[in-house]
Amino acid sequence: MARINRRQLTNLLGALGVVATLGGLAFGLPAIDRSLPAERAVPDGRPYPVGAGVTVVPPRGATVDVTGTRPGDSEGTVLFRLGPVRYAIAVRPFRGDLAAAAERLRKRIVDTTGYQVTSAQLTVGTAGGLAGLQGGYTAPGRGGRYAVFVDGGLTIEVTISGNDLDLGRSLPQIEASTRTLRRTDEPR
Amino acid sequence: MTASVVRPADGSREVALVRVPAFWVVLAVLVAGGLWMARLAGEFFTSYPKATALSLLLFALLAVPFWLFVAELDFFEREPTRLLVLAFAWGGLVATTVSIPGGVALEDLVAKLGSPGLAASWGAALAGPSVEEIAKTLGVVAIVLIARAQVNSVLDGVVYGAMVGLGFQIAEDIVFAVGAVALAGQGDQLQPVIATFLLRGFLGGIWSHTLFSALAGAGIGYLVVSRERGRPHRMGVAVLAVFGAWASHVLWNAPLFVDGLGNGVLALLGVLLIKGLPPLLLILLLVRHAHDREADYYVGRLATLPDPALVTPGELEALRSGSRRASARRLAADRAGRTAAAAVRRLQRAQARLAVELSRADAGSTASWEAAVREQRAVLRQLGHAEAVAGRVSWRHRAETVVTTVVAIAVLWVALSALGGA
Repeated sequence: MARINRRQLTNLLGALGVVATLGGLAFGLPAIDRSLPAERAVPDGRPYPVGAGVTVVPPRGATVDVTGTRPGDSEGTVLFRLGPVRYAIAVRPFRGDLAAAAERLRKRIVDTTGYQVTSAQLTVGTAGGLAGLQGGYTAPGRGGRYAVFVDGGLTIEVTISGNDLDLGRSLPQIEASTRTLRRTDEPR
Repeated sequence: MTASVVRPADGSREVALVRVPAFWVVLAVLVAGGLWMARLAGEFFTSYPKATALSLLLFALLAVPFWLFVAELDFFEREPTRLLVLAFAWGGLVATTVSIPGGVALEDLVAKLGSPGLAASWGAALAGPSVEEIAKTLGVVAIVLIARAQVNSVLDGVVYGAMVGLGFQIAEDIVFAVGAVALAGQGDQLQPVIATFLLRGFLGGIWSHTLFSALAGAGIGYLVVSRERGRPHRMGVAVLAVFGAWASHVLWNAPLFVDGLGNGVLALLGVLLIKGLPPLLLILLLVRHAHDREADYYVGRLATLPDPALVTPGELEALRSGSRRASARRLAADRAGRTAAAAVRRLQRAQARLAVELSRADAGSTASWEAAVREQRAVLRQLGHAEAVAGRVSWRHRAETVVTTVVAIAVLWVALSALGGA
C-alpha cells in the first residue's frame, strides 16, 4: 500500500482547509444566525414603517422578525409574528390595476408546491382609504389569508399564515391591523 | 527581467491530477455543489420550464465570448482547458451553493446586530461581497493546490480568478432571471428572463464577478509566483487584492447615488459609470500590466533566437500586446487575404509556444515548435506576406470601434426600455 508523503500531506491539509472555510460560510454563518434571536418587540398602537411611505399598526402583542423586515424608500417588507402566526406585508412598485395585482399574488401562491387558493375574493378597505381584495389559501398543515392593495404605483401585499387553530384565534387582530395600512407620502 | 514575473513550469514536476490528494477533495466538493445546483435547477424547471430553458440558453451563450476573451488573456502560456473548466465549475457550482445560505445568514446578522433598515440599505452591499469573494477566491486556491505548476505568473491567477467569477456570474444570473419570473407572478413568462439578460448580462456584466475575481486571482498568483519576496509581503499583497475585489463589489452593490442623479436613462447610465468604471479601469490597468510584463518576459526569451526565420524584430514588437497581435492579423488580411491572417495567427501561437519552451529550465526539445514556426513562415512567404508585423493604427479602425460601441449601447437601451426593464 502506497504511503502518503510530506508533500501530499501538506496538499491534503490545504484542501481540507479550503473545505473547512467553505463549511464555515455555508453552515457556520447560518448556525450563528440561528443562535441569535430574530424577534424584537414593537410598541403597541404606533404605526410601523413597512417601506415606500406605507405604515401599519401591528397587532397587540406582535413581535417583528428582523430577518423578514427590510424597510426601504421605494419598496419594503415587514414580517410580524403573533405567536406561531406569520403576518407579512410587502410593498413594491407596480404598474397595473388591483385585479392584476391580486391575480399576480394568487399566481405566486399557487406556484408554491402544495398551496391552493380556497375561496372567491372579497373587497376590503382600510381606514386610510386604500381599497383592496382579500382571499384565503391552504398549504400542507396550514391555512392562510391574503390581501392586496394598489395605490399610486405601489402594490401592498399582505399574507397571513399559521395552523387553523392559531389562525382562527389571531385573525381578528390581524385583520384589524391590516385596516390600519396607510400611505403617508409618495414613494421616491 | 526578474523571476517574479514568470515562474516557468518545470515539465518534470507536473503530476497527474489523480495523484494529487487535493484533486479528490475538490472533486467531491464539486459533486456536492453540482447536486445542490441540480436540485435547484429541477425546481426551476418544474415551476417555469420555458423561462428556465431560455435563461440557461441565453446565459450559456453569453458565457462564450467572455470565456474566449478570458482564455485569450494569457496568449503565451495558455491554461489547460480542464483547469479552466474546473475553475468555471467552481464558480458556478461551489461558490454559488455556499454563497446562497451564507449570504442570507450574513444579511440576517446585519439586521439582528444592526437594524432591519441597515440590512435593507447596506445588507446586499456587505453580505454578498463578504461571502461571495471568499468563496470564489477559494476556487483559485483550489486550482493552486491541484495544479501549482500551471500557475506560473500573476496573469495565470487573473485568468483562473476571472474564470471562477464567470462561472459564478452565469449561475447567479440564471437564478436571478428565474427569480424575476417568479416575482412577476404571471406564470412561465419569458419577458422577465430577457429583461434580466439585457440588464445583468450586458449593462451589469462587464464590471461584475469576472472582474472582481480576476483581481483576487492576481493576488493569489502573486502569492504563488513571487518567491523571492518574503511570505509576509506576498500574503499582504494577496490579502490586499482580495480586499480590493471585496471593496469593488461593495461599491457596486452599495446604495450610493440611488436617488442623487434622478430616474432617467442618463441618470442610470451615470450611476453605472460612477460605481462601475473606477474598479473596471483599475483592474483592467492591473491586468494589462500583468499581461505586458509576462509578454515582455517571453518576448525576451524569443529575442535570444538568432534566426529571423523564427522571429523578426518587428514580430517581437507585435507579440508584446493583444492589440498589436490583432493589428498584425488585420494587416495580413488587408495585404494578402484571410488565409494570410489565419497563417499569422498560427505563426503567433507557434512563436508563443516556442517562447514558453525556451523559458523552461528543462527546455530539452524546442525543435517541434521551431518546425511549426518555419511551416507558417513558409505559408506566409508563399502568400507574399513574409513578416507578421503590426500595421499602423488607423483612425478608421478606431472610429469603427467607437461607433459600434455606441450603436450597441443604444440598441441595448431601446430593447430594455421596450421590455420595461429601464
